[in-house]
Amino acid sequence: MKGTHPANYDAFGFLPEAMEEALRPARWLHKNYFRVKSYGVEHIPLSGGVIVAANHSGALPMDGVMLGVDLFENTNRKRFPRVVTDHFVARLPYIGVLFARVGAVGGSRRNLDSLLESEELVVVFPEGTSGVGKPYSERYKLQHWHVGHAELALRHKVPVLPVGIIGAEEQWPLLARIGGVRAFGAPYLPIPATPLPLPVRYHIHYGAPIDLIAEFGEGASEDPQLLQKAAERVRDSVQSLLTLGLEQRQGVFR
Amino acid sequence: MSRILITGATTPLGKELISRLLTLETTEAILTVARDELDTSRFGNDARLHIEHADLTRERDVRTLMKGPVRDLKIDAVVHGPLHRSALDRGKKVHAMNVESTRSLLMRLQSHPTVRRFIYRSFSEVYKLEDHLPTLIGEDHPLEFSRKAPQRVRDRVESDLSVCALQGMIPCSIAVLRCAEVLAPKSGSQLWDYLQSAVCLRPAGYNPIVNVASVQDIASAICRALESEAQGVFNIPGADTLPLGELVSRFAKQSIPVPGPLIAPLYRLRTGLLRTEFRYDLNRARFHFNGVLDGRRAKEALGYEPRMSALAGHSM
Repeated sequence: MKGTHPANYDAFGFLPEAMEEALRPARWLHKNYFRVKSYGVEHIPLSGGVIVAANHSGALPMDGVMLGVDLFENTNRKRFPRVVTDHFVARLPYIGVLFARVGAVGGSRRNLDSLLESEELVVVFPEGTSGVGKPYSERYKLQHWHVGHAELALRHKVPVLPVGIIGAEEQWPLLARIGGVRAFGAPYLPIPATPLPLPVRYHIHYGAPIDLIAEFGEGASEDPQLLQKAAERVRDSVQSLLTLGLEQRQGVFR
Repeated sequence: MSRILITGATTPLGKELISRLLTLETTEAILTVARDELDTSRFGNDARLHIEHADLTRERDVRTLMKGPVRDLKIDAVVHGPLHRSALDRGKKVHAMNVESTRSLLMRLQSHPTVRRFIYRSFSEVYKLEDHLPTLIGEDHPLEFSRKAPQRVRDRVESDLSVCALQGMIPCSIAVLRCAEVLAPKSGSQLWDYLQSAVCLRPAGYNPIVNVASVQDIASAICRALESEAQGVFNIPGADTLPLGELVSRFAKQSIPVPGPLIAPLYRLRTGLLRTEFRYDLNRARFHFNGVLDGRRAKEALGYEPRMSALAGHSM
């Protein structure tokens, strides 16, 4: 739903002009700091609804920012990725507003239904916050993989684009995470080992889109077991991309 | 529906609705009920317009109305929108106007010989706004049942649900229109009063998206509901979706971000000194979190789409 207002905000607070502004520093980080290399960009659909499912890590969700920039750059700057965030993000002062203006959306079903009906490119991290907060020793081991993305893909008949992000898991090792603080609803307070993220090189690997309807049938979204299998299919695909990416990588900073 | 009873005729929405219906040749009669005097000159003293003075908070008045003029004029549709405009008042009288008047009307409709359609104008305030709830508010969105909710909100939820509960139980088709806030004077709009200050305070770090409607759009939605037989709850969004800070700018006011805990006492002070209507406790959630009515159901079933900006004349 668009406003009739000159600056065209959508219901979630997204403003394409704000995205363009925010992209300047993000693009600099993408090009010069994390020196992102992308593989398999030909798999990114240039039109139609799609769910991008990726691994999540890095203390702060810098992987979401880099993936968003990468998707935007590799779709001829025509598709604004709509990154799905945890609910607590809306509660964070300033950050919540910034995220909303650049297209982030709280992960409620109705929100995502609306985006997919509008044929948007929706980015989800099925590991959720447990991916961001995992210890260094758990790097590149996918955490509990939620099934919501598979259910959405099946219900809306849209493909899932699996993505393996290499680099983010080493960008900011956590010394500790303090639970119980719950400032603004955040699940924990991260204590990173370094004051800034390390300038690791990101390698973003895009896999071939997965047609879950073709593999599991139309009614799979109503069957919990099939739904779990569909989510595992996506998970396995992301894990394969991670394994491939780690094999190809010559060093954390290279 | 060609013979219509309209309550709350002296509100800007009531007047707009009457004007619109009188432009239709299919309208045979309009019966309005108001406690205050209604200036009929703006309606060209149309013979189809009938005015009754009644206090709908009184059971006897409702009975007299429904068994008298409503039956005599063969009214077939009722448009009801209870609204105690002042957000400062509270207590039994306010509750009677907000809730009991609706109940009394519904009770009389259970065996009424002519009325076959009931349109209830409800409010977006009935919905709960929290960070974990969808930004896009559907008709199945959780309602504000919090014990801490002010009476104004609780009354609106109670009245809304009283109508919803009778769907299918009375010989009337019922449409509940949960409307976005009408941004206009004398319409009970909290945002309108908020925007009358030279300086508007808002919580630092938050700039939520709000959706506001024009009187014309809400009147249009009611007209469409009258033409339709569709039953159920329908969200009626407005045409303007924008951040609160930008809304303030559009009204050429100064928006000052203030730490959240300070805003409530400052606005209480303002209310105490100036007797203004804006209450921060009524608006705290929507001054933090985005919330926009999803109008897809109204579009599909009623053919309603917002078209008229409430911000006309308030350009950047």
